[in-house]
Amino acid sequence: MRSYIIKRLIYSVIIAWGIMTVTFILLRLGPSSPVDRYILNIAARGQDVESVRQAIEARYGLDKPIIEQYFTYMGNLLQGNWGWSFSTSQSVADLIVTHWIYSFQLILLATIFAIVIGVGLGMLAAVKQNTKIDYAASIFSFIGISIPGFWLGLMLIMVFAVYLGWFKTYYDTSYPIWSLENIKQLLLPVLALGIGELAGYLRYTRSAMLDNLRKDFVTTARAKGLPEKTVIGKHVLRNAVLPLVTIIMFDLGSVVFGGAYLTEIVFGIPGLGQVSFNAIFANDYAVVVAVTLIGTFLVLFINLATDLIYTYLDPRIRYE
Amino acid sequence: MNEGKPARSGKRLLDYYWERLCKNRLSVVGLGFVVFLSLVGIFGPIFAPDPQKTDFMIKNLPPVGFSIEESVYEITTGESTTTVVWGRPDHPLGTDSKGRDMLAMLISGARISLLVGLLATGIAIFLGTFIGVLSAFSGGWVDNVLMRFTDVMMTFPFFLLLVMIVFIFGPSLAIIVLVIGLTGWTGAARLIRSETLSIRTRDFVTASKALGASDARIMFHHLIPNVSSLIIVMATLSIPGVIMAEAALSFIGLGDPMSTSWGTILNTGQHSLDTAWWVAVEPGIMLFLTVLSFNFFGDGLRDAFDPRASI
Repeated sequence: MRSYIIKRLIYSVIIAWGIMTVTFILLRLGPSSPVDRYILNIAARGQDVESVRQAIEARYGLDKPIIEQYFTYMGNLLQGNWGWSFSTSQSVADLIVTHWIYSFQLILLATIFAIVIGVGLGMLAAVKQNTKIDYAASIFSFIGISIPGFWLGLMLIMVFAVYLGWFKTYYDTSYPIWSLENIKQLLLPVLALGIGELAGYLRYTRSAMLDNLRKDFVTTARAKGLPEKTVIGKHVLRNAVLPLVTIIMFDLGSVVFGGAYLTEIVFGIPGLGQVSFNAIFANDYAVVVAVTLIGTFLVLFINLATDLIYTYLDPRIRYE
Repeated sequence: MNEGKPARSGKRLLDYYWERLCKNRLSVVGLGFVVFLSLVGIFGPIFAPDPQKTDFMIKNLPPVGFSIEESVYEITTGESTTTVVWGRPDHPLGTDSKGRDMLAMLISGARISLLVGLLATGIAIFLGTFIGVLSAFSGGWVDNVLMRFTDVMMTFPFFLLLVMIVFIFGPSLAIIVLVIGLTGWTGAARLIRSETLSIRTRDFVTASKALGASDARIMFHHLIPNVSSLIIVMATLSIPGVIMAEAALSFIGLGDPMSTSWGTILNTGQHSLDTAWWVAVEPGIMLFLTVLSFNFFGDGLRDAFDPRASI
């Protein structure tokens, strides 16, 4: 077991290194230099742009060949130095420390929302199979899977913020992160981000519950005269959550990179998605590589954690 | 319809699948909408006016049947007059903030979405099938290398990569199609690999090996035909994701500036939510209906191809 974990960790580091390299090279191939944005201000003041550019590029080693820059960057990274963000004039580490919490909170709340409602509705649909409730749940899940999250976000803003005026049309950063006001203004983003995941969980829970409802041990449990509540809660649900754990964990990876990214942009939430988005447009390669790396490690860690949780949930599974 | 009859009594296999598909009403509706949209995408632009033609005299015209109040501030008198503007039949779905005809733009968007969806999915499924079958068939180190490569691709933050590449190489339809196609094959590769692995051990493969069939013959005559239904279902169900990815890219401003897609309309529409709601609503509804249709159709196809599914 321990050697398995060590093997996986080494493997994760290699993957992360590969992704870091690809991202670094891609961004440095770009048409503009990371100091371009920085220099705009100087040009406005009428100073000699070229000499300033050369000075900055020399100061940060951007005039050296790309291979040398790459090794310098990697060396710094290994020493815990994440580099400098030119477009925001602060260190990448500071930038991440200030902004990660917004992404984390959004993803956390959306995931909780999706799991609670999705699993609940899925159970209900399975227990009431082939009734109107079941059909309604199935149509709802099709809609949830098919609706583009960023468009749903726009529609929510339009209806609830622009026309009804229940919410602000912008994200107010003056509230403390975990205050009630802040969580209230996250209601729409959480809905826009969570609905797709919710629909997915609903479908999986329903089909997993139905699979298990047909099993012999359920008939046995019922024949023993156990109350239906115990049959569903103890026998069916416990067996049904196993595949659900993988699906939720796997989804988390796609939520982190796809949905949350767009949701942050639509609602103007200053999380890491927004930060990396702005950084790409400013050619601020250190920020993009850092955010990509963090995300990659997160996904790899989630994958490993899923496999380990599995051995706990299902003792029949053993890793060599 | 044919209850009691053996499933394939003299019928061609395709007829059998078609019959099974038709029993799922939603999937027929989905297929119908996809066909309709394809016709609109192919022939619509011939009849529709130029979607990029601007006319500021008729900007923000609501759809037929809707009206908006427009306030005009008269600079000479200092009075503001409010007039009610109704939608006009020559612009049945209204116009956007630059006076472009919404209907023409939506038709152009249908063409772009389907084009990108089909081409990118085609590339992805072709690569996925090739890598999946090759990996399962070769085994050993080839399998190992290909699957580790697939792992790396799967871990790569897909959308970030998309944004990065499109930003660096410039937003053009060709780049968008290529990037989505070249990065979207991983799921297909894994699924087809595992399916091929299980088919490989079947008796008919062993038999044809014993008869002296070459590897290529086994691959193209036995393995690929047997995973073909899986490939078709996967392709249908991955088109919506591609269409959404293209729309999302255009929405955040990385769409091809030479063409009008639903995402680019949404991009303009997000700035006029208070003055011209229809600009953000209409392309979103089209996007939603298209994705929904492909999902309905793909779901029906999967059941039709699955002999164990009771329909």
